[in-house]
Amino acid sequence: MKISEETLNNISALSKIKIDDDIKPKLIEDLEAIMAMVDEMNKIDTDKVEPMSHPIGDAQNLREDISDKNIDRDAFQKHAPKTDDGFYLTPKVIEQND
Amino acid sequence: MTNLTSLSLLEQIDGLKNKKFSSEELTSDYLKKIHKKNKDLNCFISIDDSAIEKAKECDERISKNKGNILEGIPIAHKDIFCIKDQRTTCGSKMLDNFISPYSSTVYEKLSNAGVITLGKTNMDEFAMGSSNETSFYGNVKNPIDLERVPGGSSGGSAAAVSANLCSFSTGTDTGGSIRQPAAFCGITGIKPTYGRVSRWGMIAFASSLDQGGIFAKNALDASLALENISGFDPKDSTSINKKVPSLLKEASSKDMDHIVGIPKSIITNIKDAKVKNNFEESIKILENSGIKIKEIELPNLEYALPAYYVIAPAECSANLSRYDGVRFGHRCEDPVDLNDLYSRSRAEGFGDEVKKRILIGTYCLSAGYYDAYYIKAQKIRNLIKESFSNAFKEVSSIAMPTCANVSFKLNSIQSPVEMYEQDIYTIPANLAGLPAMSVPSGKINNLPLGIQFIGDYLKEGIILNIANKFQEQTDFHKQI
Repeated sequence: MKISEETLNNISALSKIKIDDDIKPKLIEDLEAIMAMVDEMNKIDTDKVEPMSHPIGDAQNLREDISDKNIDRDAFQKHAPKTDDGFYLTPKVIEQND
Repeated sequence: MTNLTSLSLLEQIDGLKNKKFSSEELTSDYLKKIHKKNKDLNCFISIDDSAIEKAKECDERISKNKGNILEGIPIAHKDIFCIKDQRTTCGSKMLDNFISPYSSTVYEKLSNAGVITLGKTNMDEFAMGSSNETSFYGNVKNPIDLERVPGGSSGGSAAAVSANLCSFSTGTDTGGSIRQPAAFCGITGIKPTYGRVSRWGMIAFASSLDQGGIFAKNALDASLALENISGFDPKDSTSINKKVPSLLKEASSKDMDHIVGIPKSIITNIKDAKVKNNFEESIKILENSGIKIKEIELPNLEYALPAYYVIAPAECSANLSRYDGVRFGHRCEDPVDLNDLYSRSRAEGFGDEVKKRILIGTYCLSAGYYDAYYIKAQKIRNLIKESFSNAFKEVSSIAMPTCANVSFKLNSIQSPVEMYEQDIYTIPANLAGLPAMSVPSGKINNLPLGIQFIGDYLKEGIILNIANKFQEQTDFHKQI
């Protein structure tokens, strides 16, 4: 499996991880080696096999849909990088038209 | 006076109960030793000196005969388990400043049982690694040979038990992260059935594979510790709602008969003659203790490694998307826009191995590749589960080596694929969700090896019983 720089840039954008140009050649080499190992999967025919997504096949346990008061916003926001009046702060997303 | 730190968990419980020593003495001995040894071993990320105060409270309860089952026992937690108002790093720069607002169920259960936390142990970043070299806090060293790795990802917890810095510790196992370090450090490690131990407050790597477990000095200690972290938890939607039996009672039972399956093709293909020889000798020991041995077929296990390296990275890429520099964790300086905030915070906060796995996972899940990789891997996962279910119609447990080699030298493995192959014998049990454990089975050039027992769903008691029978015949577990 060949991984081009364009593919790497695409998955870097999808993953929201900035990758510096100087590490790209080594990273591509590593990813190609991993995918070559992964491609070993193709040696076995699985056409008639159902996919298994989870070791527990049954429906998952869900609690009653009743609100509880376990979440303390202040406690959770105390360690957030930037908050204001109960809100998380990010750089401006919507540009303002003057 | 006896060296308290070299006692087993059951010996410590007996000593505390019969007032041979106090929890304060035990805790103080451990803390002194941890402060001294951690400079070399680097197995603790944080050390909690307030443990002494808690030990005094435990002694008070013990004196009034109000102590719980594990009252006054000092232990260490892998730094993946959240503890309220304490730092939980998961071995990552991303969480270097993270103070958890809540506690994990594993921590709560053990605290309710009476244990004292000595500190949080070092680990591969986000549990991704087999050598503990990917930790942001530097590698842990193997107490048996300081030039070698302790294994990973729960390397700190394994090294702590091996160096007598606690009698048991917690760990997690997604692809072998309890069993491989247990083998490398000459101790006992168990990963129970998927869903047996709550994942609430255990920082996620690959949610359908992650499972909490125990490192201990022997199978009986491990059984009691495991019993105390197991059980249904409504806060984890994948928690199994089944009663937990007395695992200590099952582990020490004299009335269990076993047929242990030996997967012929896997054993024939062991490359290292000394590892193969050690495994064959271990099987003879099992036979001598009255256990029946049967050769079995276990087809398709050779596809476990490639399937795992699709499924685990795919789940990790989804799980780790929560680290965005907004709500908690590392945030880059002066982001110019939202995309820059995300991309730079993640680039700075994650180490190389974590980034690599997120990229692989994203690639396998991306449009056009999903069926070829992710669905294909899930089909192989089903085939592996089927292989095990067929085998368990004939045998009560399956034995194989824990690892293909002994501990290797620090920085000696540079190729990612070679590092991933460390988990070749441990990954199949995670894909199927089965309980599995490693016990010491001897040494090559003074470095320990492990034998692995895999059990059927919820049959932790059976593999613990086999491990205990093995340890009754051997003293490999006492050679640390």
